[in-house]
Amino acid sequence: MGVFTQEINGVVITFFSTASAVGKTLISTNMASELARQGKKVCLVDFDLQFGDVSNYLQLLPQRTAYDLQQAMSQQQQGVAVRAEEFLTPYEYHNVVFYVLAAPTKLEEAYNIDADKAMDMVRQLQKVFDYVLVDTTSTFSKLNLALLDLSTIVSFLGIVDFIPTIKNMKIGSETLKKMNYDKNKIRLILNRSNAKTRISIEDVENLLGEPFYHILPNDFHAASQSIKDGVPLVLRSGGSELGEALRDLVARYTNRVYDDAGDERGSESWLARIFG
Amino acid sequence: MDYRVLLMESDRLMLERLSQVINDTPNFSLAARFQNVSDALGQGAVFNPNLILLDIEQPDGMGLIDQFKRAYPGAAILCMGEKWQAENASQSVKAGAKGYIIKPFTGMELQETVETFSRLGGDAGAETLVFFSPKGKSGKTTLIANLAMSLARKTREPVGIIDADLQFGDMAVFFNLAPQTTIVEAVRDVRFLSPASLRSYFMPVASNVSVLCGTPTPNMMDKIAIDRLENLIAMSRSLFRYILIDVPSGFNPTSIAAAEGSSTTFMVTMINGAYEIDHTKRALDVFRDWKDVEERLKVIFTRVEPCDSRSKMELAQKLGYPVTEIIPNEYTIVSDAADKGKMATDIRPDSPLSRQVDRLAEHIIGRRHRIRWAAV
Repeated sequence: MGVFTQEINGVVITFFSTASAVGKTLISTNMASELARQGKKVCLVDFDLQFGDVSNYLQLLPQRTAYDLQQAMSQQQQGVAVRAEEFLTPYEYHNVVFYVLAAPTKLEEAYNIDADKAMDMVRQLQKVFDYVLVDTTSTFSKLNLALLDLSTIVSFLGIVDFIPTIKNMKIGSETLKKMNYDKNKIRLILNRSNAKTRISIEDVENLLGEPFYHILPNDFHAASQSIKDGVPLVLRSGGSELGEALRDLVARYTNRVYDDAGDERGSESWLARIFG
Repeated sequence: MDYRVLLMESDRLMLERLSQVINDTPNFSLAARFQNVSDALGQGAVFNPNLILLDIEQPDGMGLIDQFKRAYPGAAILCMGEKWQAENASQSVKAGAKGYIIKPFTGMELQETVETFSRLGGDAGAETLVFFSPKGKSGKTTLIANLAMSLARKTREPVGIIDADLQFGDMAVFFNLAPQTTIVEAVRDVRFLSPASLRSYFMPVASNVSVLCGTPTPNMMDKIAIDRLENLIAMSRSLFRYILIDVPSGFNPTSIAAAEGSSTTFMVTMINGAYEIDHTKRALDVFRDWKDVEERLKVIFTRVEPCDSRSKMELAQKLGYPVTEIIPNEYTIVSDAADKGKMATDIRPDSPLSRQVDRLAEHIIGRRHRIRWAAV
C-alpha cells in the first residue's frame, strides 16, 4: 500500500499593471530565472495572449502553446487527464532550467482562448510546480480578474513617467483595494525609478496611499541588452544594478531576506522589523 | 440667417406641435405647412421657403426627397423621423437631404441640427479615423489629441474625439476634464438620443474640438454592446467632419467593430527597442483580409529617432508595408503638456512633433476619403 501524500499547490505570482510597458515581462522572466537558479521548479505562463513577449525575450521557438493545451483539454476523454506539463517549452541557460507555457502563435488562436480554460491550466500547473508565474495584459479582463483571485501574490507594477500613467496606477490600485484582498497579497512594485520625470516617488506614494514594496532602478541599457541577448539579467555574471535589485526582490518574495537579517542583526532585529 | 420653413407632416397633432416649436424658435418662422405631399409640392413655392422639414416615414419617403429637391431647388431639406436609424439617416443624406432630425424636437435641437449641416456643408457624414495599437503604450492618445487640434485648426470644421477605452480612458486627463457624461452613458442612452441630443455628451475642449470621454473608473465588463457602440459612432458622424476614435489596445470586440466601420484605421506603435515591429506585423496580417487594406489601413510609428525619411523607409522595409507617418520622441514636451492638461502642439507649435502631426493632418485632409456610409 502506497503512502498517502497530500496534493500540494504551488505558489502563483501574477504580474499585473494598469499601464502598459511597465516591465511586466522583463520582471517575470527574471524572477522565473532567479527562482529556478535557487533550485525551485518554476513555470512561467504568458497570458498576454495576443502580443506576449515571453518567448521573444527568452528567444524560444515553442512547438506547443496555450492554445494547443486548450484544444487538448477540450478534447480530453473522461478520466484521462491532460498533462499540462507536456505543453511547455523549457528555457535553459547553463544549469538553470525553467518552463514556459507560451502564448499562442496566431492571433485568432489567442482571441479564442477561454478564460475558464486558461484558469484550469494554471490550476494544473500549480500541482506540478513550486512556482507558477503569470504574465498578463494591462486590463481588468475576465481572465485577469480570475487570476488575481487565484494568485498567492499579485505583483502590481507601475512606473512614474507622466500623469496619465499615474492616474491609471491609482485607478488600478483602488480597484484592487475594492476587491478586498489581504493587504500583503498585493505588492506595489515601482520600476524605472530613476527615469526622467519631475514627479517624486513620495508624491506617488501619497496618492496611492501606501509605500512601494520594492523599487527597481532604471537601467534601460542593461534591460534592452538582455532582451537582445535573450538572457535574463539575473543569470548574467558580473551583475547589473537592475539585476541585483531583481535578485533582492526575489529574495524578499522567498523570505530569504528574513533569514539573512536574522543572522546579521541578532536577537533585537525582529523588533526593528515590526516597528521599522 | 433666417429660416422660412415649409413643414410637411402627415400627422395632424404632430403638425400642430412642430408648428408651435418652429414659430417659437428664434430665426425660424413657419412659411407654410401641409399634411399632404401633393399639396406641398404644388403649392408651397408661393411662400418661398428656404428650409423644408419633410416627414419621410411614409410610403416612398426616400423618393420624396428628390421630388422636393426639384420643386424647391433653393431650399435645404431636413428629414424627420420618429426615431434615429442610421440607415434612414444615411440614405436620406445620400438622396440629397442635409440632415435628419427626430420628431418631436425642441427649438434648440432644430437650431443645432441646422447649424451642424450649415457648418458641414453638403458632404454627408464625418470620416471616422480609428486608432488601433497592438500592445498598449503606443502614444496614440497623445497623437489623437494633438491631431484633432491640428485638423480643426486647418479645416475650421468640427472634429470629435471618442475615447472608447472603457477601462483606462486617458483623454479626460489629456484635456484636463472632469466629464459629467462619458462613453458609458452615451452607449447606454444611445437608443433614446438623436444627433442633436448626443452632442451634449461631448465636451468642448477647443474651438471646433469636442471629446466624448472614456470611463473614470474601470468598467468591469469585458465588452460593451457593440451594436450600440456602432450606433453611437454612426450618429456622431452627422455632428462632425472628422471623428477620431481611441480604442483599447489589441484585438477585442470594441477595437474590431470600430476598425471595421472606420473610413481609415491607423495602426499606431511606439518604437521601444524590443519586439514592436513583430507585433505590428502580426496585427497587420489580420487586417490583410480587407480588400482595400492599403487604402484603409495606415501605419504610424511613434517615438522614432532620428525622425527622418531614412528611418521611415527602413521601418517600412522591416514591416513590408508602407509607413504613413512617423512621430518623433518628444517625451519632455508631451509629458509637460499632459501634466498641465494642455496640448503638446500648443505648447510648442514649432517642435518637430507639431510639424509631424500637422503633416499627418494634411495627409488626412488631402486624401479626401471616400465617405463610407455603406460601412455603418
